[in-house]
Amino acid sequence: MCIMENIAVMEIIAGYVKDATFEVFESMVMMEIASGEPNYNGSKKIDSIISSMIGLAGDLKGMVVIHCPEEVAKKITSGMLGMEVDEVDADVKDALGEIANMVAGGLKVSLEGEGCNVELALPSTVIGRSIRMSSGVGSKRIMVPFNIPSGEFGVEMNYVMSSV
Amino acid sequence: MSGLEEITDKLVASTVEIFSSMIMMDVAVGNDSEATINPYLKCITGMVGLAGKRKGIVAVHFPNEVAMAITGNFLGMDVSEINEDVQDAVGEVANMLAGDIKTILSDKGKDIELSLPSTISGDQYVFQAKSDTERITVPFIVSNGVFRVELELEK
Repeated sequence: MCIMENIAVMEIIAGYVKDATFEVFESMVMMEIASGEPNYNGSKKIDSIISSMIGLAGDLKGMVVIHCPEEVAKKITSGMLGMEVDEVDADVKDALGEIANMVAGGLKVSLEGEGCNVELALPSTVIGRSIRMSSGVGSKRIMVPFNIPSGEFGVEMNYVMSSV
Repeated sequence: MSGLEEITDKLVASTVEIFSSMIMMDVAVGNDSEATINPYLKCITGMVGLAGKRKGIVAVHFPNEVAMAITGNFLGMDVSEINEDVQDAVGEVANMLAGDIKTILSDKGKDIELSLPSTISGDQYVFQAKSDTERITVPFIVSNGVFRVELELEK
């Protein structure tokens, strides 16, 4: 039985988002990151140029989105590939898509520990300035900001509980 | 498992059906050369993830004018800006299409589940799935523009 229905549980999910992101950055990007205060009301915006995302389906339907400004996206890709990256190219797109995939994979494991089974879709990326993203009416939205020396990025989780 | 051509045919039939029965709008398949435009300029994209036995993404890319016309038909009123109504309508079109694709890819749609419909909008953006996917993109013509339906599947 999936118990992730209470609004207070958003804090627990935000904790899982943090854990999964720390794990991915430590093991795959070889980069130290610091997390900020999770935001639950949609007011926290990240000035991003590239967002990578992946859908979640199952007991919970949702989407995990990584929002990065240009410099941060290039630094993360450099860390992951072990080489300097100086433009937002296919490598950056694939690296951030893979990070979304791995963060969602970590979340999947944590949610399963709560009896909430989810499956992952495929990652995709959107590149552009002043892009608006929205998810279905009534979805819950968590944004966890993270910092690296070259700036701030955000990991967003939108979700609804599947109808029972 | 259906081949890509068969999936494309069913995807086209499904899009035509959704537009004629739910949105009351005639659509015709456009030329292939119109299928690959990226970046999208003044557009709104609706997308839904497919998870389970087949992993993928269903995306519908509408120029703003087309999205507003669709929303207007849905709601029976004039829509003159990209607002929440338009986001909901575009997300719902993606969701209906994804529901059909689920059935196309898997017998009675079992073993495949849909994620949450989401929208992306802006003056200029590039939308891409990861590099190594199977991709179907079909352009459709309506009275005030061309929109594209995209299906990305894990190989």
